[in-house]
Amino acid sequence: MSLSDSEWGVLRREIIPPFEKANNCKIETMQIEAGDLPQMLEAMSSAKRMELDLFAQDNMNLAQLVDRGLVEDLSRYKKDIPKEVQKNLIGVGIFENILYFMPYRPNVQIVYYNKDAFEKYNLKPPKNWDELLAAAKIFKEKEKVGRVLLKACGSGPTVTQLYEFIVSAGGDPFSFNDPGCIKTFEFLQKLWPYVSRDSLKAKWNTSNDYIARESVYLMQNWPFGINIINKKYKKKNIATYSGFAGPAREAHVIGGEVLGIPRGSKNIKLALVFIKYLQSKEVQEKFVRELSWPSIRTDIIVPLHFESVKNALKHGIFRKHVSYWADFDRYMNEAFVRIVIKGEPVKETLNFYAKQMDQVKKR
Amino acid sequence: MQNKWIKLKKDSWKFFFLLPLLLYLAIFTLVPVIRSILMSFEGGNNYAWLFSHFRFRESLVNTILITIFALLFEFLFALAIALFISGGGRRRIIQALILIPLGIPTIVVASNMRYLFDTNGFINTILTRLGVVGIPIDWLGGGALTLFSVVISDMWKVTPLMMLILLAGIERIPKELFEAAAIDGVGFWQRLRYIILPLLKPFITMALIIRGIDTFRIFELPLALAGESFPVLSSFAFFEYRNYNNPHTAAAASTVLFVLILIAIFIYLKLVGLPNEETT
Repeated sequence: MSLSDSEWGVLRREIIPPFEKANNCKIETMQIEAGDLPQMLEAMSSAKRMELDLFAQDNMNLAQLVDRGLVEDLSRYKKDIPKEVQKNLIGVGIFENILYFMPYRPNVQIVYYNKDAFEKYNLKPPKNWDELLAAAKIFKEKEKVGRVLLKACGSGPTVTQLYEFIVSAGGDPFSFNDPGCIKTFEFLQKLWPYVSRDSLKAKWNTSNDYIARESVYLMQNWPFGINIINKKYKKKNIATYSGFAGPAREAHVIGGEVLGIPRGSKNIKLALVFIKYLQSKEVQEKFVRELSWPSIRTDIIVPLHFESVKNALKHGIFRKHVSYWADFDRYMNEAFVRIVIKGEPVKETLNFYAKQMDQVKKR
Repeated sequence: MQNKWIKLKKDSWKFFFLLPLLLYLAIFTLVPVIRSILMSFEGGNNYAWLFSHFRFRESLVNTILITIFALLFEFLFALAIALFISGGGRRRIIQALILIPLGIPTIVVASNMRYLFDTNGFINTILTRLGVVGIPIDWLGGGALTLFSVVISDMWKVTPLMMLILLAGIERIPKELFEAAAIDGVGFWQRLRYIILPLLKPFITMALIIRGIDTFRIFELPLALAGESFPVLSSFAFFEYRNYNNPHTAAAASTVLFVLILIAIFIYLKLVGLPNEETT
């Protein structure tokens, strides 16, 4: 799993000990970054010494694990998934009709905004791209610095944001140059002069600080930020909502983690019991209460601020599982830098990357 | 010939004791370096791709600029501090204080420097409150300002190392030379030019080579300070391998870095000479 210290604290204090006691076992936990897991499993598998029995992996990084044959087929345990688990969250773990991963923690980005700043300039939280651009322009005009935060740091945060924008514009992100892609990059190029320069450093973990310290007034992030903004910074003037729609629709990438059992694990049975435990109402309630994680279950009563999460999940989309995600990630990031940051022509640049992507697909 | 053989036989136990270290170096340094170079030639023309890629070119330029400016400023500051604290009784206390940054992990230095250089960080707060600037300066958004921020951060951490080496060199200069210069009425700048710098040359060479190699490999500081908006060669190689699963281009970028370091050492040694040449 890849969790923050505070998240590990809750898991180690409140989730794992009751399970260990009930099953008379000892669970050793390890922090493994999503990008490192495939290499680690491959090394253990080649050495025929699988030391992991269960892992939680970011749902953007699953295809590699399946392609390299590193995970157990869990299809026969599909019937054990509680009926209260949202059905649309199971699909992300299925590859060519085989269930490899079990749902346990969905995630979706919501928009955070500074109520005081919006009220000061008589603005409403933007519901579409035009309103977003208008708000960004007003903040820049009044305060001389951009107050809308984009994720322009590169890698996963930038690609996830672009994916949402493109689908919201009715495009297919993998095409690179369909009308939706072109509309998205044209819009972002227009928006860029009015966004905060902190966007270049804004990752999922650093963005919360920017809005809490009021260097920006609007940003998009995962719901874990609610905890940090409320508890660490004790801010009461930051509100959330599901987000803004593009020209075609409102769309939010469903992220989060799923559970998998490495091929070669020696404790499959116990791992399956632990999966069931993590999917239980009791544990999912603790995730919501203690960590502000959205729940996979429909029978959990959520706090008020979770309405925005629920609404965002209604517009949730899963990214396509493709084996060439790494190449897609690279080209999206490069296109963003060249078009949005450096101001290169939209169509020509996107055509260049569309060709690159075609070559990768053929390979 | 026979004498040489006898001497070699007599010294063989020394080689025996050196063997574990040599084996360690061969297995954990030499083999990976060679493997990495070989990998860089596999899977297509990685070098042509690298040099046609705008991110790589940016990384290359940033790395070279950081190295040049960091070495220059670190050397000047280290020399000034070393000259200031050499000889006097204040030396030990100041030396101990100045060495503190060396003990702080680079990533911690980078995090602290972010508090200084962030748009709502310490420097911008002071500058805006004093009315020096109207809007916060974007120190870490890429370009020359970010280069400056990275160089300053690097200087803060590693100038003490260079200072220590130079101080050791200054302490080795015979006192009689300074006494004779004082009798002749030689001023500070002349002493610096005709006595200190020439006799310090081997130490300067050593300091610049050690720091030069280290600065070329700079990684955590620019990454933690400015993220991907200010790439350097090692972070470029890291992202190629980790984010894009491309070990061959990562190896090629690392090889370019390796060659760059070799070239820099070669040029410097050609210009200045080997450290031993001065002392023997």
